[in-house]
Amino acid sequence: MDRRFVYILVALAVIIPMLFRVNLPVSVSEPTQKLYDYIEALPSDSTIILAFDYGPSSLAELNPMAKSLLRQCFDNDVRVIALTLYPDGTTLASTLIQEIAEEKGAVDGEDYVFLGFRPGATQVILGMGSDISSVFETDYSGKATTEIPMMKDITNYAQISLLIDLASGSSTEVWITYANVQYNLQIAAGVTGVIISQMYPYLQTGQLVGLISGILGAAEYERLIDVPAKGMLWINIESFVHLLIVGLVVAGNIIFFNQRRREE
Amino acid sequence: MRRQVPLILCFVFGIVMIFTQFSPHSVSQTLYQEVISWALIISPFALVLATTTLIQTHVTRIRRRTEHWQYSFLVFVGIITMVVIGVPFGPQNQVFEWFYTHVQVPMDATMFSLLAFFIASAAYRAFRARTFEASLLLITALIVMMGNVPVGDLIWNTVLSWLPLEDGASGARQWILNNPNLSARRGIILGVSLGVISQSIRIILGIERTYLGGGD
Amino acid sequence: MELFGIWVAALLTLCIYSFLYQDNPFYRFAEHLYVGISVGYGIVLSIHQGLIPFAFKPFWAAVTGESLIGLVKLIPIGVGLLFFARLSPGHTWLIRYPIAILIGFGSGVAIPNVLRANIFEQTRGTIEPFAAMHAGTLSGWGVFEAVLMVVGVVCTLTYFFFSVEHRGPVKWLSKVGIAFLMIGFGSAFGNTVMGRVALLIQRADFLLGDWLNLIS
Repeated sequence: MDRRFVYILVALAVIIPMLFRVNLPVSVSEPTQKLYDYIEALPSDSTIILAFDYGPSSLAELNPMAKSLLRQCFDNDVRVIALTLYPDGTTLASTLIQEIAEEKGAVDGEDYVFLGFRPGATQVILGMGSDISSVFETDYSGKATTEIPMMKDITNYAQISLLIDLASGSSTEVWITYANVQYNLQIAAGVTGVIISQMYPYLQTGQLVGLISGILGAAEYERLIDVPAKGMLWINIESFVHLLIVGLVVAGNIIFFNQRRREE
Repeated sequence: MRRQVPLILCFVFGIVMIFTQFSPHSVSQTLYQEVISWALIISPFALVLATTTLIQTHVTRIRRRTEHWQYSFLVFVGIITMVVIGVPFGPQNQVFEWFYTHVQVPMDATMFSLLAFFIASAAYRAFRARTFEASLLLITALIVMMGNVPVGDLIWNTVLSWLPLEDGASGARQWILNNPNLSARRGIILGVSLGVISQSIRIILGIERTYLGGGD
Repeated sequence: MELFGIWVAALLTLCIYSFLYQDNPFYRFAEHLYVGISVGYGIVLSIHQGLIPFAFKPFWAAVTGESLIGLVKLIPIGVGLLFFARLSPGHTWLIRYPIAILIGFGSGVAIPNVLRANIFEQTRGTIEPFAAMHAGTLSGWGVFEAVLMVVGVVCTLTYFFFSVEHRGPVKWLSKVGIAFLMIGFGSAFGNTVMGRVALLIQRADFLLGDWLNLIS
């Protein structure tokens, strides 16, 4: 079979269910539930850090998570400090936060602040442990961090209830290694499919308090906050592509074993 | 001067960072914070390295007229466009953001989405249960793939409705990730971390010097 | 402008997908433009969010006498500037100074933190279920999972242990380790499929929804 025939099958498996919407129920996994419960249990006026450590290549999986997390935080009066260790994620994060803030009526500087990007992941994380404003002297729009109302009582990680790392690379391990170990900062993560498996050892030890796993996790979170959006829509379409790929693997193996039997 | 001074600098900064982390004394903590601020100041300059390497690669391609050399001009067009707008007006400039949103984002996202097609093709052509180990990998992958989508549980609850376990596909996925996957990953983490620590000690002591590059 | 942007993004997306048929000038055009725009974006962000706050502002404060303590910052700024030596072939060796400081810093902070985060904590996580077993709070299934985890971690580590020849019991432990690794890689593959397909679905959503308005 020509590889391009497989490509057409894949395209059809995406396009057809997208045009004719399908709604299958999504069950919530324990790691996602844990993160949701953790945020729900935070007292109002708590502050969390949301790290947008990804670029456009991972927005399909991580943007839906970011939106749900921001919606939950704004609904619960949990203040959000957003930042990124990835230069490519800066404009992406800025646009996304503004979109959800407008939707929820959250005020810049009071309910949330976007600090932007700083190069040098390890030193940024360690520097913020001593004094956030020593690393982010201003926010992304240029306002002095110390003059931002919601930052008045915040010096370092001691005043932060949770850090959620939205990651497409190794940033979660870096946050765990430096912020959790050195400063006892509680950490949770929302990650792309590629790195889900490697997060589980940290989940079992409690170094991660919760985990949102790829587009499935995003759909689970949308169900938890009861705001169905792209995550729910896309995981349903994903069902058909996975069925196709499983079918292709099975077909490929049947052909392979038939050929081998004939050769023997 | 060319090799000894960098080795000494590496040793001094490495040792300072190890010891200051163990001492709560105010002098030690001030030193610790000062070294972090030095690292923060130095790291953005590394941009020069990455940029010059890329520019040199494409200048060489144009100069040597290698295959498709004309396209290298496009790389410069892209860089210059962004720098000319972004450096004087800042990254929040509307035109700069327009290029990011409508040129960089779609291409970056699309480039990586190509892999979905390649994975499907490879799954059909190469994913074979030739050996016991390959079969384990294949079966696990199939279970996780089905557990990752709602249709997996739908099939389980319809076809295997006589079983006492509901939502078995997502349950099986979660069990695999929580148990055998966790063990394997933990083994890898322990191995890699021991490697990182021993390599770090070798670097600080000057035994490992490859970062200095070739030459004098 | 927004509509024009959507058309540009859609056409560039299609240029990249044209690679699925075969390599062609449209794909090469988009690929090179993508590299240029991405690098340009990175340069602008590194200047505005890195060099200006960390180097230029402290430098300016020190020069204008606004902050005399800031004079100390001139040293790391000077060290960082040595990265520009990359542009002069005769002085390339000077970039070893900032690199040595950053590598020494990285190695120094890594040793105690990696040890605690990845060796101590992961070992604790492996042993901890046995404390629950001892306290009698672990179910029969929990005991099985705890034993399975230890077996998996030990066997995976054995597979990576090359200081002894893999013969006899070591060979069998290592074989069990391979089985665990295969399950780990299988689950990673299953999850990777989910990730890559999600990227494709997002692009299709953009083309059919934002561009062609075919999705309600």
